[in-house]
Amino acid sequence: MSTTAVPGPPAESQPVPPPSSPDGAPRTVRRRGAWILHTIVPLVPALVPVAIVVAIVFALLSLAGMSIGLSLTPFSFRFRGPVNFGWAFFGSDFAPPYHWEIGVFIVGSFLTAIPALFLSMAIGLGIAIASTTYLPRSLTAWLDPFVDLLAGIPSVVFGIWAYAYAAPYFGVTINPWLSMHLGFIPGFGGSPGLPTGEGLPVTIFILTLMALPITTLLIRDALRSLPRDLWESGLALGATRWETMRRVGLPHGMRGILSAGFLGFGRAFGETVAVAIVLGGASRYPTNFYGETGTMAATMFALLDSAYGNGQFLALLSEMAIVLLAITLAVNIVGRRFVSSFVGYEIAGM
Amino acid sequence: MATANPMTRMLTPEDLLTDRSLRTRWRIGFDRAVGWVLPLLFGVAILPILAVVYYVGSRALPTLTVTVLTSTSLTAGVDVLGVPIICTFEIMAVATLLAVALGLFGGIATAEFLPDRLAGWIRTTANMLAGTPSVVMGYFGYFTFVLYFGWGLSLISGAFTLAFFMTPYVFRTADLAFTSVPRHVREAAYGSGAGPLQYILRIGSRIALPQILTGVFLAMAIGVGETAPIVLTTAAATIVPHSLFSPATFLTALIFANYGSSLGAGYVNVAFQAAFILIVVVMLLNVLVRIVSARYQKKLEGLYL
Repeated sequence: MSTTAVPGPPAESQPVPPPSSPDGAPRTVRRRGAWILHTIVPLVPALVPVAIVVAIVFALLSLAGMSIGLSLTPFSFRFRGPVNFGWAFFGSDFAPPYHWEIGVFIVGSFLTAIPALFLSMAIGLGIAIASTTYLPRSLTAWLDPFVDLLAGIPSVVFGIWAYAYAAPYFGVTINPWLSMHLGFIPGFGGSPGLPTGEGLPVTIFILTLMALPITTLLIRDALRSLPRDLWESGLALGATRWETMRRVGLPHGMRGILSAGFLGFGRAFGETVAVAIVLGGASRYPTNFYGETGTMAATMFALLDSAYGNGQFLALLSEMAIVLLAITLAVNIVGRRFVSSFVGYEIAGM
Repeated sequence: MATANPMTRMLTPEDLLTDRSLRTRWRIGFDRAVGWVLPLLFGVAILPILAVVYYVGSRALPTLTVTVLTSTSLTAGVDVLGVPIICTFEIMAVATLLAVALGLFGGIATAEFLPDRLAGWIRTTANMLAGTPSVVMGYFGYFTFVLYFGWGLSLISGAFTLAFFMTPYVFRTADLAFTSVPRHVREAAYGSGAGPLQYILRIGSRIALPQILTGVFLAMAIGVGETAPIVLTTAAATIVPHSLFSPATFLTALIFANYGSSLGAGYVNVAFQAAFILIVVVMLLNVLVRIVSARYQKKLEGLYL
């Protein structure tokens, strides 16, 4: 019997080399040629998400190129011409078919998403700290699922509730009050907007509520997953609960808190229907804090109907979709780099 | 004996607190104040839920009758919910089947077969897909299914768009369910001579199935509440669709079409009725997810004993 290594099943007399992966654990028993069955075949279904992402980008790029006659080729992305990504693209003058500038919507998206992000982060931090440190477990076991339920309410339901009840309250009571008492801050004075309340404040309110379950849940998970020793060492040194949270809990949970910020922002930035209902859908910069404006997502949603059959308009809208997709994906990727656990998203429906 | 021995008395925080300086009192007082103020923030999250349920319910329930729920014919001034409910069932059935078909096997493959680096990349992509704004998904569906495939504004366009939206959730839970099967179970299976397929079908799936089920329910809860992908890809049908390629509608689409209607209070009311049904369905799905997932956790803990 030859002693050279022969590929194939080892003879009965030889000891079977244990199949092992880097951590020493056998995952699969491999036979000759099995790699086709075990790697190539599983690759097909596993690549479905990749294929969908590629298809989305491909479709948007193709439509963005349609107006100059290069339809359905991926690299027909125009940087010149009537519809373009040049300077004019980011201007403020949006009046099809003469002007195609979407800067106003990019600004509108940030104007609504960033205040909503800060509010929901502040409230979410408060709730998470109260839930992990101050309230007894028996109480939080009932309260926490309630906050998670907020993620379960469909955005269109939030939208019509805000349209029928919250927005008029903003228009009649809150906006005039803010205008009167905060009028000394530039941008916060002047006309308190429509009495129906459609405008920035109620949109920020709704977006805060929609981002709140995500930020709360991720911060709570980040704080809960810290080792118990950390908390106890802080308390044993004589620090109060608040000091322990401030000096130990928050610094160590910073990654999770940052990811909560990014993902909450992604949620608020891409929110469509609720914003389309309560923001008023204007295509101009707001005159003050109480004015109407438009976000990218809401404008795209509202205008697709009127773009039917108009290639240039469709191209413009799909360019807007590309900008929105790029920003949201960037925010999501950065946010998810900070967390390794899946648990949070599943409950928050992210 | 009647007087308590100070050494056996229960110690209180005040006993340990020998430092009674102003600064220490301020620190402790601040801590207590925080403990009273922060829990109030729970109200900020819980009050809106109660408000939404209360207002939508008070608007919907007085006029919500069995006739409204089941009738499919339009009567003057009052819309009815029969058509949207049937359409929602049909679209959700097709979309859920598709999403499971597209996501389940990919999740299993990523968890069980692919090398770790590649699996990591695919998971990142699935997360990206889950973070895609719903309106972008609607545009994709409109461009691809409605225009390019020529299916028009139809039931199947909506179902496909929704399925693509739901796929990453199914994918991720299938992946997570199979990766969180305890290692000794997997090793015992392979150690006693099972092949990968035998392991997946006979052993892994028994442990992972409940969590996959929660993933499917969650995907359904997310899908049934989506508006933009559906509104952009299905026409607002007023009759029951007779084929996959005929116009359809959806509960959320009906809400969006009717909430600001100037045709009369009946039309606006029907939006609130649809919203109420939607809330009930989504809450039920969420409760189901919680029950199944709690049982699953117990089962997993049992496996580690």
